[in-house]
Formats: sequence, structure tokens, C-alpha cells
Amino acid sequence: MSYIDLKSPPKREDRLKACIAHGGTICEMAGAKGKKSCLHDDGERSFTQGSICLILPALAMLNTLPDNVVLLHSAIGCGGCTHSQNTNVRFGSNARWGRPKDGVWLSTAMDETDVITGGEEKLEQAIIEADRRYRPFSITVVAGCVPGIIGDDIDGVVQRVQPQVTAKLLPVHCEGFKTKIWATAYDAVYHGIGRTLLSPGEQSPTGDGLAPFKGLERLPRTVNLMNVSSMGRVDEVELERLLTTLGLDVNVFPVFAHPENMVKATQAALSVSTCPTHDDYFLGYLEERFGVPSLIRHMPIGIENTGLWLRDVAARFGEEEKAERIIEHEERELREALEVFRPVFEGKRVFISAGEFRALATARLLEELGLTVTGIRSFHHDEFAEGEYRKLADSSKDDYVVDVANVQPFEEANLLKRIKPDLFLGHANGNGTAAKLGIPTHVIYNTGLAYIGYRGVYEVARRLYRQLKNPIYNRKLGENLRLPYSDAWYTADPFSHIDQRGGTAA
Amino acid sequence: MSDNFIERPRYVCALGGAAATIAALPGGIPILHAASGCAGNFAWAQNGGSGLQVGGYCGPLSIPSSNVQEREVVFGGDARLREQVESTIKVMDGQIYAVLTGCVTEVIGDDIKTVVADFRDQNVPIIGAETGGFKGNSYWGYDLALQSLFREFVERGTAKVKNSVNLWGVVPSADPFWRGNLEGVRRLLEALGLTVNSFFTSEDTIENIRKAGAASLNIVVSHVYGVEAAKLFEEIHGTPFLSLSLPVGASASEAFLRSVGKALKISRQKVNTVLSREKQAYFRFLEPLTDCLNDLDLQRYAVVVGDANYATALTKFLADDLGWLPELTVCTDPLEDEEKDRLTSQLNVLESRYKTTLVFETDGSRAIEHLQKKWPPAGGQKYHNAFSPAFVIGSSLERELAQTVGAPHLSVSFPVSNRAVLDRGYTGFRGGLRLTEDILSAVVAGR
Repeated sequence: MSYIDLKSPPKREDRLKACIAHGGTICEMAGAKGKKSCLHDDGERSFTQGSICLILPALAMLNTLPDNVVLLHSAIGCGGCTHSQNTNVRFGSNARWGRPKDGVWLSTAMDETDVITGGEEKLEQAIIEADRRYRPFSITVVAGCVPGIIGDDIDGVVQRVQPQVTAKLLPVHCEGFKTKIWATAYDAVYHGIGRTLLSPGEQSPTGDGLAPFKGLERLPRTVNLMNVSSMGRVDEVELERLLTTLGLDVNVFPVFAHPENMVKATQAALSVSTCPTHDDYFLGYLEERFGVPSLIRHMPIGIENTGLWLRDVAARFGEEEKAERIIEHEERELREALEVFRPVFEGKRVFISAGEFRALATARLLEELGLTVTGIRSFHHDEFAEGEYRKLADSSKDDYVVDVANVQPFEEANLLKRIKPDLFLGHANGNGTAAKLGIPTHVIYNTGLAYIGYRGVYEVARRLYRQLKNPIYNRKLGENLRLPYSDAWYTADPFSHIDQRGGTAA
Repeated sequence: MSDNFIERPRYVCALGGAAATIAALPGGIPILHAASGCAGNFAWAQNGGSGLQVGGYCGPLSIPSSNVQEREVVFGGDARLREQVESTIKVMDGQIYAVLTGCVTEVIGDDIKTVVADFRDQNVPIIGAETGGFKGNSYWGYDLALQSLFREFVERGTAKVKNSVNLWGVVPSADPFWRGNLEGVRRLLEALGLTVNSFFTSEDTIENIRKAGAASLNIVVSHVYGVEAAKLFEEIHGTPFLSLSLPVGASASEAFLRSVGKALKISRQKVNTVLSREKQAYFRFLEPLTDCLNDLDLQRYAVVVGDANYATALTKFLADDLGWLPELTVCTDPLEDEEKDRLTSQLNVLESRYKTTLVFETDGSRAIEHLQKKWPPAGGQKYHNAFSPAFVIGSSLERELAQTVGAPHLSVSFPVSNRAVLDRGYTGFRGGLRLTEDILSAVVAGR
């Protein structure tokens, strides 16, 4: 039985043996010293700080869908994150359609009565009312912790209500206490899309994968470009530019894609991932059920990685020579343009913190700009990143620390005090610790900014150049503010709260 | 208003409100006993709703959290909490710690009281509150956190000190202007010669908070937020309280000072002296505005959308200070009938005698329907008394409403995603000047 036949996808601890608590080094992670790099037994922390759960990345995707209403079935606070994600929705719709538009999200706001009596009836009524009031193409019913713990059956409710409403209903399971690996969010959303929007029921009986649906033809030059909301329009444009030069048509999916058109993803000749952490679950499904082959190896961040990514795509279409010409031209142009920044970057020491694949690919980019990587904090670890760890271990003169942590800024504060990097790159809402230590910082992910492809390299360089040219704001913060950690903590082993008792006990 | 959902909730949950409240105390360290995503959710909510302010000394992603998993759901999370508190007091440097429960740990019934009591017995300054998200929104979480502070931290049996007051009713982060608003009210009270304990400003200390029982009066600048905590305070520490409107602008500040003066038996003469000084300064600033205000015909109809504090305070300001025409006021909080009555009575007594319509509606996008009931759109007739010229004051979610009615717009009430807020506040006389500047700037931005 395929995972997609289950009500909800398995958690990544189980499916990928992903781990989330580990203190190591780049060589160890790359297996350079003969240790196995993957899979580590996961650890547990005796001290933990709050993090995000899978509901946040899931909502970041769902909120972008045009003509969709997000209906949270949970307590009232779940989904508060949408207030910042809504900025992406507004900027994203403006960039694509010339008009900023707020997302529509609702909450069943489960209260004490619902906790006692169950929330299924309220959810049922909420779906019907939302359908009548907003007339959306789809309603994504997102379950948070409370229904998960009191045992509301959201799939059952959706099944019961579907005949009474016009909107397509997609259940999405985001019970935060059920997984430590919030990348499970991508699986949860893709799971809902796969089960609901891509299953018209009339598949080719021959099973040759060439006619995914009756009446729909395979599009021989169309590639699915997967974007789960960590890329803004500016990055999509850059990748579309490169793929179009190869003579390909691009179907960006699933953010900002109309749910009605999602079925197009099953017709493409190839699916191309921009981040394995995001896409493996769904690409496997597209391949298995619709015969759409996929590429999931490199993230097009940095000069070398962009080239590798493009070569992989080109090879599938017999366009290797064209790709080489494009890459040579692009690289020459880019390297010339970067010359002016190099003196400022040369030898500067940098610490990087973000989602695993993104952090590692960005680390390569920074090396290409002339910076020296001195530490990495990855939000989790799974097998997809092994190649990236090897690339970094190969290119690094010295071994350096790798902290596998789902945020946990206390470990970061301790490490930064020891390492004293010249520059820090962190995830959104993850730069405050370094900033208050006086270190110049830059955000590793912000959907308004360019990061990807050749243009991304140049724009990252331009932004870092600005930060390093005048780092006085953070320096003054560092002189006048303190972090909330005790003095004793800075002298302790940064990983002393990780207990490698092993296993993903749950 | 739907019985089955709330549209785009303009607050987070009780846990979020409580966490922001504790984090706003001097050296405050919240300890969430909750699933791992709660803190991150608050971080992103503040990032997008609190005027670019996230956190503080121990803000969202730094907040210790037990991050309970299925294992704790099955076996109970008490042991994990104990371990977490133990490690928190070693790693985090705090002056007060507060264990706050989330949905999961409250449903499974973890006993935080015993854990908290055990650490308090070891002289750890720690309190606890049951703030499961399903208990209510940010504002209720604020009230619960204050209740816990007053019950478990503020010393009992302290002798009352004359002219010493505690001040609350402004909710950290849920009001993006909370810091400026608290300081504005604090300055008003200090002008009367009072000693003010306002818990969350940079002038407050943990020692003064511990001794808050010495106050002779508690002043809650809200008809809803923190009122239950005030009742509890009175019960435990014997300090009476006044629940007053958030004093936004000159008229409200005058009424506010007179009420406080009366309650504390401050001589009318002293209150008058303070008022005449403040008003003189206030009108000196307004004076040069006179030409443009009149020449540019800046009087506007208005729609106000806001939480329980702002809905009434902004309406009063527009009607009684600016001399505008606030036609519709939409309060977006889910409230009890008694709370609705308290707010309604506030708008029945406007000094200008302007008659506004107050509706309670948790779904902001319905404001337009309420407005059109009162002001039907033009039907193509030659002479039409339109809802124009107009202004929309609310949250950043009211931009679409403003666009629909063709009006300029200002975000004041959560979420405020399109402004940066640091020390700006709208309370007091100076706050009225700030608000006048901001509103008129939005009107003349294209000039």
C-alpha cells in the first residue's frame, strides 16, 4: 500500500529516520572519518526551547493558493503565524497578478466545550458556512493539536460533508505533537493535494504512464518546478529563465497555483525539485502513480550547485551541449560581476543556520564568494543531505561544528561566543541571537529576496557586501543588550543538554 | 458573526497572550509546557502583527518549552516538565519564571501546580498558569498570567502606601503600541504626583512588582482586559480598582485624570492645574494645524475596526477630539454579553453627542455589510449622500475595506503588519497629537 492511501503521511522520523538532536562536525557528518554519516540515532534534549511545528510551513504553502480558504480546526491561536505569512501572500499575488490580496483563513477556535464534547459537528458546520460565504474552489481543512488529541476524525467529517458543498475539501494533518520533524509539513500538504486534486479516477488502464488521465496528454517539454514557498517569485523567474533557455516550459507548483490546475503536474515530462527536504514525498508519488520522472539531487543555490542542477535537467532532454554553453556563459558573466565584492569577503568567517539542505547549499555559495564556513546549524538531518555534507567536507580546510537542532538558540549562542564569526546567516526570525551578540547577520530565506540561481548568487553577494560594509547597528546592539542566558551556560559544553540515548522514542 | 468559526483571528491563544505577558516583565522567562510549535507560531504572529516587534529579552524562539511529544501524551508530561524547569533555571538568567500550559498538556491533565510549588519551595521565583489555547485568546491569557502573578508572586499583607497605584490593561504584543501606551498613561498618572507600578515598562522593577500589594488603587485601562485579575487582586490584597477606557487623546485623558483624582481624593484644584498645563501644551501644538485642517476640508466620516480597547477609544477620539464622524465601530473580540454592555455604554455618552453604531463582529470582512446597512451604495442617482469623504482606522486587514470604500487607512489595532512601532503610543495628550499626525498623514500622503 502506498503512503498516499493512508489518512495521513507517516512522520519523517519513521519514514526517513530523520534526526533532530545531534552535535557533530562537518567531517563526521560527511562520514570522512569512517563513521557512518546517516542514519544517526536521534538524541533527546533535557533543555529545549520552543520551535515551530509542521502547521507553520504547511500554512505557508496553503495560504498562497488562489481561490482556497484555509480552515484551521484547532484552538484559536494555531495559525497566528499567518499574519506574517500573509505578507508573502500579498507580495506574491502582486508579483504574479499585479494586485496584492490577503489570504482567507478561518479558525474553528475550539473551546473548552469542544474539547469535552468533540469538535466534529462544529467543523462540519464551519465547512458548510465557509463554502456558502466565500464560494472558494477548495477548502483546506487543517488539523492542529487539539483535534489530534481528543480524537476528532477530520477525514470522516470531510467525507460526510463533501457531497453538501461545492468546494473541494482537502484534509491536511498538522498535529504538532505527533512529529518532531516539521519538514513532515510538506508531506502533509502534498498528501492532501495528491489524494484530492490529482485523483480523477480515470487513469490509463495500460499503466504505461504516458496517459495519466483519460483525455490528458503528456506534455513532452513541460517540467514541474517545485516550490513549497521557500522561493519567492524573483527566484522562480530566475529558474524559469534558465529552463526556458533550454527550450522547456515550466509549471511552477504548488504555491500560488490554482488548485484546479494542479492536475497539470501529472502531465509533465519531468518534475524538478529545488530542495530535496521539501519534495521527496510527492515526487515519489508522481513517479509511482503517474509516471512522471523526477530529479531530486541538487539545490540551485550557489554557482556550482546551479550548474549541477541545470546539467541534470538538460541531460533528461538531450540538451547537454546547450546547457554547457549556458553555464559557461553565465558563470563567466557572474564571476566578473562578483570581483568587486571579493576583497570584502575574502577570509571572513561565517556561521550558517537554517533548514538542512538550504543551509548546506548556501554554505557552498558563501565559500564560492570567498568566505570561510566555521559552523553550521541544520534544523534536522536526513539522508538527502549526505552529498551536500561531502561537498562541504571536501572543500573545507579545517573541520568545523555541525549542530542539528530545531532552532534551539541557546546552543547557537554558546557556539557563537566561542567561534566569534564575522558573519551569521539565519532563517527568518532566527537572526536575533547573533545580532544581539554584535555579529552582522543576513536572512537565509525571505521570499521577497533573490537567493537562487546565478542571479541569487549575485544578489546574496550584494546584500552581504552591504551588511559587512556597515555592521555598526548589530555591533551597538551587542554592546548594549544581553541574551537571556546565564554566564554559566557559556562555559558549559554547547551540546551538554543532548542525551544520545538513541532511537526516536515516541 | 459566525458561530462556527472566527475569520482571520486578530489574536493568538491564551498561551500566546500569557507568554507575551511574562516575556514583557523585567527579566521574565516563560516556560511553555506545550507542543513544540506554539512558540514559533507566536513569533510569526508578532512578526506579522505587532508592528515589526518580535519578542524582547526572552522572546518567542528563545522561550524554553518542554516540546511534548506523543510519548508525553501517553505517559504524562510531569517528569519532562520537571526536567525542563530544572535545566531552565540553569541555562536561562531570569528574575521571574512562569510555567504556562498549552492545549496538549492541559488536555492530558499534567499537574503543573505541584511542580511549580516544589521549585518555589527551593526559592525559585516561579509561578504557573493554566493557559491552554482552547481557554480563550491572547487577552484572556494576559488576564490569566496577571492572576497568577498576583496570586503567587506579589507579597501578601503589605501595608498600603498612599498615592501609589498599579497600572495595567494594555496587552503586550496584542496591542502593537503597548509600550508607548503604558508609558503615556504612566506619565499622566505621574503628573498627578502618583507613584506608578506599571509592570512592563523599562522603569519597572521586579522588586516593585513583588511589592505591588502596597498600592492603594489599581487602574485598569480597559473594560475587558485584566478586569478579572483586578477582582482577584482586590480579593487577595485588598486594593480596589478602577476600570477605565484606554485614554487616547485629550478628551479621554481629561476624563481619565478626573476619575483617578476622584477615586484617590486628590484635590480638584490639583487636577485642574495638571489639566490646564497639559491642555495648554496640547493646543499650542494644534494651533498651527488650524489653517490646513480647515482649508483642506479634512473632516471625514469614519469606520473603526478594533479590539475592545481600541474600538471605543478610537471612536471617542475621532468624535470628541478630531470632530470627525465615526459612523460604524466594529469590535472584533469574541466577548461576553456583560462585556459588550460595558463597551456599548462607553459610546452612549460621547462628549460630542455624535451617534455611532457599535457592532460586535469577529469576522472583519463583514464590516462592509454592516456599513452598507447604514450607508447603502449609490444606485446611479444624481444626488447621493455617499459615505464620503471617509477614513478607515483598524488593522492592516482593513486595507481591503478601505479600498472598497475609497478611503485612506491607518493600522492601529492588531494585526499591524504595515507599520514599524517602537515607543509610539496613542495615550495621553501627547498620544492624541501622535494619532492626529498619523491619521492626517495618511489622508495627505499623496499631497
